[in-house]
Amino acid sequence: MISLTIKKGYNLNVSGQPSSEVSDLKKPDRVALLPGRILFIKPKLLVKEGDEVNIGTPLFFDKRDDRIQFLSPGGGTVQKIHFGPRRVIQEIVIHLSDKEKKESFIAFSENQINAMDRTDLVKAILNGGLWHVLKALPFRDTAAPETIPPAIWVCLDNNEPFHPASHMYLDGKTGLFRFGLAVLKRLSESVCVSVATESPISDDKFMEMVTHQVSGPYPAHDPGVLVYHTKTHQLDNRSWSVTGQDLLLIAELLKTGVYPIERLITVAGSLAHKKYTARTRIGAPVAGLMPSEDHVAQARIVAGGVLSGYTVSHDSYVGFYETALTALPKGGEKEFLGFARPGIKKHSYSRTFLSVFNRKPLDMDCGMHGEERACVNCSSCANVCPVDILPQFTMKAIHAGEVEEALDHGLLDCVTCGLCSYVCPSKIELSTILENAKRDYYKESM
Amino acid sequence: MKALNTIFDSLRKYFEAGGRLEKLKPLFDATETFFFIPGDVTKEGPHIRDSLDLKRYMSIVIIAILPTFFWGIYNTGYQSIASTGSHVSFLTAIFKGLEIVLPMVIVSYGVGFFWETIFASVRKHNISEGFLVTGLLFPLILPPTISLWQVALGISFGVVIGKEIFGGTGKNFMNPALTGRAFLFFSYPVSMSGDSIWTVTKGTGAHVVDAISGATPLSLSALSGPGMDISSSLTHAGYSMMKLFTGLYPGCVGETSTLLCLVGAVILVVTGVANYRIILGGVMGLLGIGLLLNLFAGDGHSPWFSLNPVYHLVMGGFAFGIIYMATDPVSAPGMNSSRWIYGILIGALTMAIRVFNPAYPEGVMLAILFMNLLSPVIDHFVVDFRLTKRMPNV
Repeated sequence: MISLTIKKGYNLNVSGQPSSEVSDLKKPDRVALLPGRILFIKPKLLVKEGDEVNIGTPLFFDKRDDRIQFLSPGGGTVQKIHFGPRRVIQEIVIHLSDKEKKESFIAFSENQINAMDRTDLVKAILNGGLWHVLKALPFRDTAAPETIPPAIWVCLDNNEPFHPASHMYLDGKTGLFRFGLAVLKRLSESVCVSVATESPISDDKFMEMVTHQVSGPYPAHDPGVLVYHTKTHQLDNRSWSVTGQDLLLIAELLKTGVYPIERLITVAGSLAHKKYTARTRIGAPVAGLMPSEDHVAQARIVAGGVLSGYTVSHDSYVGFYETALTALPKGGEKEFLGFARPGIKKHSYSRTFLSVFNRKPLDMDCGMHGEERACVNCSSCANVCPVDILPQFTMKAIHAGEVEEALDHGLLDCVTCGLCSYVCPSKIELSTILENAKRDYYKESM
Repeated sequence: MKALNTIFDSLRKYFEAGGRLEKLKPLFDATETFFFIPGDVTKEGPHIRDSLDLKRYMSIVIIAILPTFFWGIYNTGYQSIASTGSHVSFLTAIFKGLEIVLPMVIVSYGVGFFWETIFASVRKHNISEGFLVTGLLFPLILPPTISLWQVALGISFGVVIGKEIFGGTGKNFMNPALTGRAFLFFSYPVSMSGDSIWTVTKGTGAHVVDAISGATPLSLSALSGPGMDISSSLTHAGYSMMKLFTGLYPGCVGETSTLLCLVGAVILVVTGVANYRIILGGVMGLLGIGLLLNLFAGDGHSPWFSLNPVYHLVMGGFAFGIIYMATDPVSAPGMNSSRWIYGILIGALTMAIRVFNPAYPEGVMLAILFMNLLSPVIDHFVVDFRLTKRMPNV
């Protein structure tokens, strides 16, 4: 096992930490898939409103590769399909029936997996509708089934506030996890499993499977960061990644022949009434996880981490990949002479507030805390960047249209962790600028 | 607080598009955001943002400048009264100093702010906090005898040519305060150098008896002929190392006290607002060249060669320049290794100008401006070098 310490990054000490309990939620009455939240895909619907669907019935596929399907996370009727601007499919809502029917898939034993042809295995995952959980770096688009990746990274932890820790969802599932790794080993020669050094998992059988023990501030456990710090060849940049929970889904699908629907989602944030980790279903409604007696009216609900996530409304659903819901104060109050205050409770990466002496978790709201200004070259962004990009220079290269230069700077290594935007005293949207440039480059090369 | 907010809310309509004072929107915004951090919220991307903004950043710089500013007031008053030969009390020195320094600061801020507002209104950008620093630094690097019209001219040049025509704070490549000073230095050499300009004698009824009594340590040292020992002639003139360090002697308003510059440096470095690499690099460069010169000291060489280089740290404006001017992040390079190079070269150049150029006894201003020009080049090569070690990802 390799011990890896990532030095750069930053841990936000946000208040509203979840308790360590995992509670089972009762079955929701509706679940949904959110195609608009899945990067790059061009969804083509296979159902219409009023159709009966089972757990595992295909709802839509990706027009770019029609083998990549997205299956229904619930059995019942398609209640509503929400379209956004330019008819982007935003939500496919399934009203669940009391007794949900399940589609059946072929089940395999571990020996069968080991003896299988790679093509057959790929076909089994494709048919099971879970191929899309395999993401190809550096753009994190769905992996191309025929490609053999240099490595597949299974990143079990995520130290962005607040995600379920690996020991919560792996509890009692060591065997299933082993099965999942056997599947991945058929897809690539090298499978790397990373776990946080501080993880409380002590099971020796499990630890045998771990290849990298990683410590460091956020986003040390991101697959892009791990690839950046371990790559020995340029080709390693095209590694694949899958999260721990998603790998368990693949394993369950192939082992039992049933489309899996379980998800662990952490609900936290200073405005969440109950801060906990919920065992619920894929596509569960936000309202079920975060009841409306919470201070949701004053809160912004963020799905998928406070730095890299997106805003969801209270009547929406949790996206397929998201494992965190955070209720943050909306912010937006003007602050009288704010720049001159001692700031014992003001969170900052810099040392310009008295909060450097304050170790307690701090309330963080969604305010900008200042106006946008031109870059003053303070290099805070370069100091936090986990993959050694120089965001202040790269941003200027992008603005000048020098794509080649931005690429030389390592634009594609960017993991869009959002730290550069967080620390910027000039309030420049560095992370968004880099992310958009990266996406534009990908779309042009497609 | 609430009342103030109401006042701003009621006045806002005049400054919005279509209002009578639409053109002065930046002025209104600057005033309002001075009192209230605006309540903007994040749209997408990272949902939470650091509490640090540029206002806070620049406020820290101002706080760090204040010790030298107050000392500058006291010292200017003290020198002015002492030149009459009469007894100086603390309060009279302060009052005299205020009488001399405050008008300079007011003119500097007033005229500079005027240009900032004009550019902000025409080019429709915000009035940047960076100016608050420039406006305070500028009078501190001028001799106290400077005329107020020269202060106005200098700050105008510094703000307009040194900064605004390039797009304002963040886009300038030279330190605006130093640009203004360089303009005055070359346009009005008589008012900016010499021996009679460092002490205000006007209105005190005194006249400077001889040149030496008004000379700064640097010009005094430059006068030393071959074979003379600078440190002993400095001591002879009353400039002990301790006096040079603490700063009770004639010079530019804010530059004399190395001790208080160090206090400012501690504030800047502890808060992380200034980069310590530039300051340390500057000291290393200065001492390095100084020690190198010591090796060649002897007959036939200028007495500068044998001077203990520590004197250079406390004489003239080096401490002030390297701590407050060279660390301006906008005109300094953005890479840590370039900052070392930048600092070291400023120190080395300062020394070279002081020792080898008889025309300018002081070299730090020119050294910093010259390195300002070179800092994008240093960054260019340092970034290039760094990228050669990066595994490509295309």
